[in-house]
Amino acid sequence: MKLVSRNALRWLPAFVVPAVVVTAVIAVPLQAGAAVDLPDKTPEQVLLLVNDSTVSAFSGTVDQSSDLGLPSLNLTEALPEGNDSTSPLGLTTVLELLSGSHEFRVYVGGEGQSRVQVKDRMAERNVVHNGSDIWLYDSSTNAATHLSLPADLEATAQAKSAELHSQLPTDLATPAQLAERFLSELDPSTTVSVGTDARIAGRSVYQLLLTPRTNEMLTSDTLVASVSIAVDSETGLPLQVTVLAQGQSAPAFQVGFTAIDFAAPNTDLFNFVPPANASVTEQTLPAKPEGSTGDHSGDHSPAVGEVPVVTGTGWSTIVEVPAAAVPAELGDNPLLDQLTTAVDGGRALTTSLVTVFQSNDGRVFAGAVPLAALQAAAQ
Amino acid sequence: MSPSETRPPETEGGPHVRHGGSWDLLGSEISVLFRRRRTWAMLVAVALIPILLAVAVRLSSSTLDPGEGPPFLDRVTQNGLFVGFTAMVVAIPLFLPLTIGVVAGDTIAGEAGLGTLRYLLVAPAGRVRLLLVKYAGAALFCLVATLTLTVSGALVGAALFPVGPVTLLSGDTISVTESLLRSLLVAAYVTVSLLGLAMIGLFISTLTDVPVGAMAATIVVSVIAQILDVIPQLDWLHPWLFSHYWLGFADLLRQPLDLGSFAHNAILQAGYLAVFGALAYSRFVTKDILS
Amino acid sequence: MTGAGTGAHQAQGLAIETRALTKKFGSQTAVNGIHLRVPRGAVFGFLGPNGSGKTTSIRMLLGLTQASSGSISVLGQSMPTRLSEVLPRVGALVEGPAFYPFLSGAANLRRLDTADPFAPRRTRRARVQGALERVGLSHAAEKKVHAYSLGMKQRLGIANALLLPRELLVLDEPTNGLDPQGTREVRSLVRSLAAEGTTVFVSSHLLAEVEQMCTHAAVMSVGSLVAQGTLAALRQVGETRVHLRTPDAAGALRVLTRLGLEPARATNDAADAVVVAPLGDTNWQPEAIVTALVAGGVRIRGFAIEEPSLEERFVALTGEGFDVAQ
Ligand SMILES: Nc1ncnc2c1ncn2[C@@H]1O[C@H](COP(=O)(O)OP(=O)(O)OP(=O)(O)O)[C@@H](O)[C@H]1O
Ligand SMILES: [Mg+2]
Repeated sequence: MKLVSRNALRWLPAFVVPAVVVTAVIAVPLQAGAAVDLPDKTPEQVLLLVNDSTVSAFSGTVDQSSDLGLPSLNLTEALPEGNDSTSPLGLTTVLELLSGSHEFRVYVGGEGQSRVQVKDRMAERNVVHNGSDIWLYDSSTNAATHLSLPADLEATAQAKSAELHSQLPTDLATPAQLAERFLSELDPSTTVSVGTDARIAGRSVYQLLLTPRTNEMLTSDTLVASVSIAVDSETGLPLQVTVLAQGQSAPAFQVGFTAIDFAAPNTDLFNFVPPANASVTEQTLPAKPEGSTGDHSGDHSPAVGEVPVVTGTGWSTIVEVPAAAVPAELGDNPLLDQLTTAVDGGRALTTSLVTVFQSNDGRVFAGAVPLAALQAAAQ
Repeated sequence: MSPSETRPPETEGGPHVRHGGSWDLLGSEISVLFRRRRTWAMLVAVALIPILLAVAVRLSSSTLDPGEGPPFLDRVTQNGLFVGFTAMVVAIPLFLPLTIGVVAGDTIAGEAGLGTLRYLLVAPAGRVRLLLVKYAGAALFCLVATLTLTVSGALVGAALFPVGPVTLLSGDTISVTESLLRSLLVAAYVTVSLLGLAMIGLFISTLTDVPVGAMAATIVVSVIAQILDVIPQLDWLHPWLFSHYWLGFADLLRQPLDLGSFAHNAILQAGYLAVFGALAYSRFVTKDILS
Repeated sequence: MTGAGTGAHQAQGLAIETRALTKKFGSQTAVNGIHLRVPRGAVFGFLGPNGSGKTTSIRMLLGLTQASSGSISVLGQSMPTRLSEVLPRVGALVEGPAFYPFLSGAANLRRLDTADPFAPRRTRRARVQGALERVGLSHAAEKKVHAYSLGMKQRLGIANALLLPRELLVLDEPTNGLDPQGTREVRSLVRSLAAEGTTVFVSSHLLAEVEQMCTHAAVMSVGSLVAQGTLAALRQVGETRVHLRTPDAAGALRVLTRLGLEPARATNDAADAVVVAPLGDTNWQPEAIVTALVAGGVRIRGFAIEEPSLEERFVALTGEGFDVAQ
């Protein structure tokens, strides 16, 4: 009798400790997200908060995850091809960054100083921007690329830099940029509301909720269910962007800080000196990295047939790229065969958020719309 | 009743004075562990990993392209200090878990197999004390094994290749002294990484009287964890696998130093310590010693 | 000791006391409700054929296994609740010696000594030396145990039990594998320990051994305790017998019957028969029986009065068969 109870007592830890650990594992994230109550704000006030944000320097860790329903990629097979191109940021890289999840470290040091580190397994890719210098460094190939921005052409440089950034997948890493893009595209097609307050990266945030208006168009016209932007309640810095797709409960795309520090990072971080033994490529800015949409390629001015055509408005916008403007890489990349499936009138890449359709005559259509809408546009 | 009165004259202090025996037992455990030829053989094998790597790179005429072979291998010829890092990457998935499996699997089952477990327990070592001492021994072995690898890597790297400032993953360069400090940090990280597995091994070791079985089971567990870690369908499970952060010491080779995965890893391993420590405790204190 | 509980006074005289101690392995009952009572200062022989449950009982006494039911008190304290207080006062050899083969004999003893939190470190080397000397192993102290013979290991096992002065020694088959010299040494060792006041609980299936060194004994059979008490008391249950060798068996039977005994022929060899007759409660002196036999014309080749042996008692209690108890 006594022995039995003694034994039962001694087996107690074997049940209690795992139970406590499991409870902690479940409860700690819940607790982190719970019990945030900020003073109520209208969407306009939250937008103003973003607008008035004075944060110019910070450092943080960013997690980006995509659940786009992309077919699983055999990236290792395709990677050597990606490495052949001089740009470390070709199509392969873009696709790789869009699948699965990635961790970045972001350092912003005020005027023209920023550094983004893509944390890979036993490797790292860096984009360091310091004034008129931009360094790209990939530790797996030990290759550095140097882009210098002409200092006197401030305005052009900024435009070019913005353009370059729009081609760098790493620009997705700064939620501020993404949020601004979404906010600028606000138009009557969107319902804007403020969701429940939450906690992101240890900070209390307002959640700006953008939902495609259903009274003006059918929901099925866009694949996007909602976009939510988490805005730091103190600084107004957007901390997280989440895109939900129609009929999918897990975010189709999410990028946000997991940790953030508003102290200015050490400026040494932005003085990038390539390692002594790295292979360094100097690039003048007009020569654009391969894999870009190639609407003007330097030696010839864009012809009419090469300019992308935009049809539709708001959430159901469709971009049509004429056959002549489609970069050659798209045709050659073996990844494309893996990604696309043959459909009526061409090949299509369907994800939960974006659909790309290449018609048999070579034109490419893309949009956050169902495939049928693209096929209709191709007619 | 006072037993010491009925006893023959005893050394001063009498038999019922504790003599700080826990430290004695720990010292004895460590000395037994490190007096075994098997332990030395494993440490020599661990030390051989960087030596073989360095010699192979040194003797081969073809130079490696960046990114070819294990991480950092292409850098070894330029800087001997990378030998240790490459060896660590090579040793972590299988070889280090193997040695930990042997040591941790042997803890209790080995004593049971020899029959010495019953003599330790009637001494009386105390079951909880014995578990703690055994675990401390296994944990110390984790540290010694990773330090052996680090030191051997640094020595052979310095002997066969030039030594200079080290380029981190972020492309920044640090001094030799700082790189040695980072090597030690990596060794600490890897030691912490292996603590969870050591506790799993200790638990498995309490389940059987056949040491080889416990060793094999522990090694198999470490292999299975790593297999699960690469199955994409199980990605919800990945962050909870004790092997998930094993290669995360790469974060210690970034600039600025990123201690995030060190902390994550430490918390994860602490979770495994708690769970499997509790299981090992419950199992061992209720176990019938029949060996 | 103040914490010995209410039973302390009662158990004062007992080094080991078990009540209805039972151990089951699955459906098999290895030890079945035994009530052992080992007085302090006794040399207690724990007898039983192979598989009768001796080692299983000893494991329970030492807290190595848990009893399925029943209670144990050792040196006046209940086990296994007071294990950490009791065991430092107990030296033990359980089911043969066991050592680290890759360590020397002395290193092995030092290792096991560190496991005892009450063993002083300062005297460790000296105590190990002393214990080795006591079992005659000083010369092999620095030899690796894997190079030890069976008997040397057995001696080392006994030395381990003697590292500290103990109140109780539990020795499970201590003479197993020892040469005659070693057996004798163990016997005298046990006697000298007993003389110092140590209680010795020694299990064995060698009756002669128990008879020569024990004051008390208990007999196990198929998990049950079938007898226990002082050696004299155990013997008493047996019979003193007349043992006669003669070529005149018929005459011998007639004469002995006339004396009121119940003789029986132990062999059928007519030329050299053996006749046995229990003396029972008749008070015949040996010389009177011999005189009667000679007077009756019976030729005597051999005559003896046999004291009762423990062996008979043992066989009577545990059965004659060679089969190991289930
Ligand atoms: N681990 C075990 N599992 C199952 N049964 C066991 C176990 N150990 C012992 N037994 C059984 O318990 C019974 C008693 O065994 P024990 O070892 O106590 O005998 P013993 O009296 O010491 O014999 P011996 O003289 O051979 O040493 C035997 O029938 C044996 O089969
Ligand atoms: Mg036995």
